[in-house]
Amino acid sequence: MRGWVSWRKDRCWITNCSGFFMTQTLIPLLVDALANAALIFFVAVGLTLVFSVLRILNVAHGSFYSIGAYVAASLGLWIVSIGAPPWLTFPALLLSAALVAALFGPLIEHTLIRWTYGKSEAVQILVTFGLFLILEDLQRLLFGVQSIYSDTPMSLLGVSEIGGIIYLNYQLVLVGLAVMVLVGLRVFVRHTRTGRLLTAVVADREVSLAMGIDTNRMFMIAFTLGVFLAALGGAMATPTTGVAPGLGADTMVLAFAVAAIGGLGQVEGAALAAIIVALAKVLAIYFMPALDAVAPYIVMVVVLSIRPHGLFGTAQTRRI
Amino acid sequence: MGGKDRYCRSNKLQPYNNMLVKFHKTFYSFPSRPSRTREDDRIFEALGGVQMYDQMKLRKIFGGALLAAALAHGAAAQDKPDSLDVGVFTFMSGPAAAYGMPGKQGAEIIIEQINADGGVGGVPISASFVDEAQGAEGVLSEYRRLAENGTTEAMIAALSSGHCLALAPVADQLKMPTIGWNCDTHQLYQTGEFDYFYRPNGNTIAEFVAFALYFLDQHPDLKTVAFINPDYSFGHDAAEIVKAAIKALRPDVKVVAELYPKLGSPSYQTEVSRLSAARPEVIFSNLWGADLENFVRQAQPRGLFNQSNVVLALGETILERIDLPEGVTVGVLGDGMWNSPTAKEIGRAEAFAEAYREKFGENPIFPSVKMANAFLVLKSAYEAAMEENGGTWPTKDQVVGALEGISVTTLTGEVTFRADNDGIVDQIVGTTVKPEGAEHVTIGNMVRYDGKTLLPPEGEDALAWISKLTPEFMDNLPDAGSYK
Repeated sequence: MRGWVSWRKDRCWITNCSGFFMTQTLIPLLVDALANAALIFFVAVGLTLVFSVLRILNVAHGSFYSIGAYVAASLGLWIVSIGAPPWLTFPALLLSAALVAALFGPLIEHTLIRWTYGKSEAVQILVTFGLFLILEDLQRLLFGVQSIYSDTPMSLLGVSEIGGIIYLNYQLVLVGLAVMVLVGLRVFVRHTRTGRLLTAVVADREVSLAMGIDTNRMFMIAFTLGVFLAALGGAMATPTTGVAPGLGADTMVLAFAVAAIGGLGQVEGAALAAIIVALAKVLAIYFMPALDAVAPYIVMVVVLSIRPHGLFGTAQTRRI
Repeated sequence: MGGKDRYCRSNKLQPYNNMLVKFHKTFYSFPSRPSRTREDDRIFEALGGVQMYDQMKLRKIFGGALLAAALAHGAAAQDKPDSLDVGVFTFMSGPAAAYGMPGKQGAEIIIEQINADGGVGGVPISASFVDEAQGAEGVLSEYRRLAENGTTEAMIAALSSGHCLALAPVADQLKMPTIGWNCDTHQLYQTGEFDYFYRPNGNTIAEFVAFALYFLDQHPDLKTVAFINPDYSFGHDAAEIVKAAIKALRPDVKVVAELYPKLGSPSYQTEVSRLSAARPEVIFSNLWGADLENFVRQAQPRGLFNQSNVVLALGETILERIDLPEGVTVGVLGDGMWNSPTAKEIGRAEAFAEAYREKFGENPIFPSVKMANAFLVLKSAYEAAMEENGGTWPTKDQVVGALEGISVTTLTGEVTFRADNDGIVDQIVGTTVKPEGAEHVTIGNMVRYDGKTLLPPEGEDALAWISKLTPEFMDNLPDAGSYK
């Protein structure tokens, strides 16, 4: 009997001991999923934004995530090393993302990406893949191969106990920031002049051009915004993780899965898909750790089998 | 068949006979023969192909004899090369570089020291480093390229157990003496016998049985354990070994969580939550390199080290990088601790550490020491082979012959090879303690287990051997804190 009770406590599931399940499993599971989803969302929404406006699947997008992470970590370490107030490491995260976007966005869009407009998808993918390889090697050259850690922002915010488990307050801040980015993108697209022009370009590029919209400028803005979102994801990830070569590739694959599940070009789709993918990963880690790595792709296969254009996508849909 | 017939099978070819003769005179003359006189040439030309053929025949006989003599001489002894070229395989990029680079740095220091002491039998070591981060196929092709370049005499390979499993049969195929500087997997010599592949480190059985013994001894009332290991053979093997030891020695202990994050995972936040929710008394981990550092940096602020007793099998590698709390069980996978009591007694590790500190600004960690010890084993094999060979430079086969059953005093202890080419080394396990005034925690409350007692007899299935361990076996082991 003693063994049975102990088994029930260890294996508590929805039907039994629901209070225990709620506090020990369900709440931590949801918090973990939301915290994971936030970071995936930043990079996936940037990827999907670039695709919806430029019609280019940018394989180098993951590199901007890792570059954002490297710049944020370096800036954070520099701030600490010169003895500046540690809270400055927070604005440094946003500043890093802005710096990366301002430097790489216009430069790469004006050169490589613009050259691929109108070319076949295979050429576009090959060009952006080449860019990805170059950027990955540049990171190795500049930052070396050892992991870099800059965890001051995480330490400053402290911890909270949720469902009997200690969480970093920084993880909760990430969730809030992801919601702000989602809302901000909505407001930008629907309520600003540039956002409406972007929508027009997405709806019909040729007519927009005929109406006098500077489509090249719109492309540049969309690409730079995409770079900013990817770099923001990387920068915001640095306080809770080490930055090492290979980060970009892993993130890129996950971002593709999320964008495909949500429907390419769908901002809300990316948000929902990020939560589903993160939930799948967390569920796997909690209950079937062997499936951890493949969980996002299992979700992708299931979703695309039922809805080939993703949760929010349709064959003809061209909107952001 | 006369020479003429051989070269000019028909009369139509007769005019070319002289050309052939001239050709052979030009390119096939004995270099040691005194230059011919004109008279000789005239006679030679007059005799034409017959003379030439006879001469060719003689040359072949002499040449063959000389070649055979040279080969026989070479087989017995070779001229000393300008340098002893060694291929060294380690991770120099990617997350595994956190372990691989200290290995490379250890190689650089020990090579400098060996060369400063006169090299190996008077020959300086020269290393070609290969990055294992390129994957198994790249590693194999680099190994073949080095092995067949005509100058590489030995290999120190590799860090990854998977690469070691792939390289061991190739070492035999190419007859290349190879020292497995890190290869931990016990599967290496369970899957086959290899004549040219020697591992001076013990293996995962000895390493992880040692940890199980230590924490079971430390926690007599232990009820729950959890695992977080890397998702490949090293992680899964370690969990199987520890679980087998627990099952044999404390069958009432329950495993409440088993997590296997992928190698190179940047985030462990969900795993930390899962472990927090499972609330195990002991968390065992053989995460390593950047993975280990990432996990500890993420788990510590979330209170995991306060909630559970954590066992970090490769913990010594991060002691000076992270502010670990006291009471964490850490080890060095073997005896490669540069400042252990035995290393101090031997007296060579401190000079190694000093040179390492001077060049790289930090103390060597156990991968550095493991690498250095691998070089010392190779050096000893060469010296033993030369001694056996009357002082002349040995062949690769002679080096391999010398490695058989050799015992070498390394920087940190003694390694002896068993008949299956697996090394026996002691295992050091301890707990983090912070001496007063020290900047970082260090290893205290140590025990040094005799490596021989932690390895199954040759040929016996490792897990079956572990399942036969008894509480009496534990009683006969040295206690924690006994190694001072």
